[in-house]
Amino acid sequence: MKQYVTLTIDGAQVRAAKGASVLDAAIEYGICIPHLCHVPNLSDIGACRLCIVEQVSNGRAKVTTSCTLNVQEGMVILSNSEKIKKLRRNIAELLVAQAPNSKAVQDVAVRCGVKDVRYPFRHSDCVLCGRCVRVCTEMWGARALGFVGRGKDRHVDFPLGKREDFCKHCGSCIMLCPMTITPCKGPMKTGEEYLCGKCEAQLMITANRPDSCVWCELGKGFQCARYSQ
Amino acid sequence: MTKLNTTNDLEALRKQITAQRKNIRTTLTLCGGTGCQASQCRDVIDAVKGALGKHGLEKSVQVRISGCHGFCEQGPLMVIEPGNIFYCHIKPEDAQDIVSKTVMSGAVIERLLYVDPVSNKTIQTEADIPFYQAQDRQLLSQNRLVDPCSIEDYIAVGGYSALVKTLFQMTSGQVIDEIKTSGLRGRGGGGFPTGRKWADCQEAPGDEKYVICNADEGDPGAYMDRSVLEGNPHLVLEGMMIGAFAIGAAQGYIYVRKEYPLAVEHAKIAVQQARECGLLGENILGSRFSFDVEIARGGGAFVCGESTALMASLEGKVGEPRSKDVHTVEEGLWHKPTTLNNVETWANVPLIIKNGAARFAAKGTNNSKGTKILALTGRVKNTGLVEVAMGTPLRTVVYDIGGGAANGKAIKAVQTGGPSGGCLPVSKFDLPVDFDALYDAGSMVGSGGMVVMDESTCMVDVAKFFLQFLQDESCGKCVPCRLGVDRMLEIITTITEGQGKPEHISLLQELAETVQETSLCGLGKTAPNPVLSTLRYFPEEYAAHINHKRCPAGVCKPLITYAIDADNCKGCGLCLSACPLGAISGEKKQAHVIDQQRCNKCGICADECKSQAVTVN
Amino acid sequence: MSPTTLSSILEGRRSQPQQLVEVLQDVQESFGYIPEDAMQTVSKDLGVPLMEVYRVANFYKAFSLKPRGKHLITICTGTACHVRGAHLLLDQVNGQLGLEPGATTEDGFFTLERVNCLGACALGPVVVHNGNYHHHKTPNKLRKLIDSVRTTSKEETLP
Repeated sequence: MKQYVTLTIDGAQVRAAKGASVLDAAIEYGICIPHLCHVPNLSDIGACRLCIVEQVSNGRAKVTTSCTLNVQEGMVILSNSEKIKKLRRNIAELLVAQAPNSKAVQDVAVRCGVKDVRYPFRHSDCVLCGRCVRVCTEMWGARALGFVGRGKDRHVDFPLGKREDFCKHCGSCIMLCPMTITPCKGPMKTGEEYLCGKCEAQLMITANRPDSCVWCELGKGFQCARYSQ
Repeated sequence: MTKLNTTNDLEALRKQITAQRKNIRTTLTLCGGTGCQASQCRDVIDAVKGALGKHGLEKSVQVRISGCHGFCEQGPLMVIEPGNIFYCHIKPEDAQDIVSKTVMSGAVIERLLYVDPVSNKTIQTEADIPFYQAQDRQLLSQNRLVDPCSIEDYIAVGGYSALVKTLFQMTSGQVIDEIKTSGLRGRGGGGFPTGRKWADCQEAPGDEKYVICNADEGDPGAYMDRSVLEGNPHLVLEGMMIGAFAIGAAQGYIYVRKEYPLAVEHAKIAVQQARECGLLGENILGSRFSFDVEIARGGGAFVCGESTALMASLEGKVGEPRSKDVHTVEEGLWHKPTTLNNVETWANVPLIIKNGAARFAAKGTNNSKGTKILALTGRVKNTGLVEVAMGTPLRTVVYDIGGGAANGKAIKAVQTGGPSGGCLPVSKFDLPVDFDALYDAGSMVGSGGMVVMDESTCMVDVAKFFLQFLQDESCGKCVPCRLGVDRMLEIITTITEGQGKPEHISLLQELAETVQETSLCGLGKTAPNPVLSTLRYFPEEYAAHINHKRCPAGVCKPLITYAIDADNCKGCGLCLSACPLGAISGEKKQAHVIDQQRCNKCGICADECKSQAVTVN
Repeated sequence: MSPTTLSSILEGRRSQPQQLVEVLQDVQESFGYIPEDAMQTVSKDLGVPLMEVYRVANFYKAFSLKPRGKHLITICTGTACHVRGAHLLLDQVNGQLGLEPGATTEDGFFTLERVNCLGACALGPVVVHNGNYHHHKTPNKLRKLIDSVRTTSKEETLP
């Protein structure tokens, strides 16, 4: 017998099953909270920090990731306050400055309101979202991929850095990876990275209802959870 | 070691030990802490024992190797009772004199006495040393009285009597209330009210609970926990036992960072001895309380000082923190309710139970009670471990205890709280050592590290140093910390290289606030503090670097040039042979020259030069 | 690598995944680094996926995946030591032995490591050589220490 709770997201009363995350509840209700590392049916780790929301209680607001926050009766959530918009934009700016060579990453940045990038572009081919690692570990138990190293050295690798024999060739990692979708104009050369800005037009559709899901094209590249339903 | 089955057994043992020691007329306490070990105290200890043996005094003179006294630069050091005579900078050759003159004849050896660097007076007794006098050494003074490898010493000074009171005169609820009333707040950096933490954990559902002692002390420049755990492990154990009783835990862990091998060893010995006499195990002293402790070693990761990362490490995994939407007091180690506290927090517990919460709360301020051990280091005359009542002004610590500036340079700032803290200028030195006061000023008490900086320290370089440290130690899981700290470091490095732009300041500020608000764990959340506090209090230094391409303190390498003043140079060649890059040339007795192409501004030549001929521009 | 030693390290810990960090600590102490075949054996005997063993071995600074030199020089770069010029010591070793932190000399003699605080802050700058602590080190004193280590070793290898 499923138990339900009622919480408030951006003023709207939302009913969600106990054990669901605030992000899950929002997506189901058509409230758009940008996310990158979240994949339905895989564990949530709160690594990309894009899905941050403000949880209001006792007159104080705490910033936390909605994917790791479980719904509770009477919870008050703000997913699109000015503060959250600014923080989210800054995080997306960091991401796209690190790995602009992916339509999916650029789309996330546009969705989060990034207009210009104030850091020198880098040419990383991985945003460390962990989707590949989690699908390999949790869906298939192959454990052929894992995060190795700390901080700046953190990267995805095989066991011992070379044991490809653990891989079962299912292709799930490639399917989920946001870096496999190249920009519309083709791959960017190292040293010539730029912010494309073309899909900004997509956002005009959402201009009147900024926090509602409108099945925009932006979610397709990184398989936003709404599309995965 | 006989097994103690009841409290009567414990009291009988205590009386027996005390009686046995009545015949000892003289006690020599030598410090055997890590600091003094580095000063080769082992050789001194052997020499002293040898000298005592030669005079047939091994039985009547007790030699106690204690833990750290906190006055490390004066080591190897010794305190002689009776007389409270304090000797420092002892060499093995001095052992003979110490035994024949002081021990046998009561004569004081002048050359071994401490000279106060402020007054230049020679001080004879430990009690008269200004560095100690200005402190309130509730915890540290106990280090002097026990050999950490001797449970008998601990019992002789009243050890485990708080445990007896807890087990047989109090309920778990009363223990928690006592800790709440005391106002004790976490000493590891978080400053969370300990009583509330224990209460939440005790109330959490589940009958398998854990207590953990966090001895991962990763803040560079902080070694309070090392000294307490190394010097008085039974005090920490007793605190953990009391806490475990209060919350209902039967198993505890002490997680010690690997870089403290002596602390690991002493903790292991203490646990072993406690087990042998039944103070750890089933039905302790005949009560219904059963408890055991295991020692675990850290693997070399600052992030493992964070509670969820530490627990992951204990579970045999990588030390990556997790989101704390569910607190560890409800779901911690192995997803069970866990109370994790710092070494110093645990060490305060037995005294609170023994002497009562009111006495503890009588010291300190409204919201910060008791005493705090600080590691005072940097550019002051007296460095070492300092224990003061909360509420003591920073000024008192830096000048009265620290003795003021070393090297005649003006003190500029004090950095408190390690990499999570901030830099406070001299104008803020009237602020008290108080959790809330320092937090509001943009710094924090943190674990207690206090580094004094003078005019030869570049505050932009300090921000860079801490960012480099945090970048090195970040686990890398979340974007704001991994990329945000990296970009902050990129911007600050640009500034120190003379390529900074005015808009960098506002970008740094905005990025710092983002990292603070959105990082997953405490490491990331506090990472911007050194940057934010230096921006707030030392904007003129940033302005000099950006607008004038100048480093006022003469530290940032790309902005300084090393040159040899031909007028002062004697041509002695010291710099030439010291330069690791061979960048200096010159004939004997003739002015030497630095090849600017080869020079990497390491400053070794300036260090070696005895004629003040090396200039920094 | 002696299979017996690894076996004795794993004694009493088989099928206990939570012992992974402690086991690797012992492997590091016994062999001076974590060999690949040790990781495979540990994975099998403790019941931990090889990917996890590799992750843990890479995460903690205490573990080295490459053999270390005969003489390990560790320089403390904590705040107190930094303020007293620990970076000068790094420059010294760089110039004298051509080593960056983490690297080993070609002849396998010296390895240089950095450590972020040893807790002997009042005595900085601190250098540890094969477990022996040296305090108040200056570049000059460090140069002499390195030279003396070389000389002593040469004397030991002479017939």
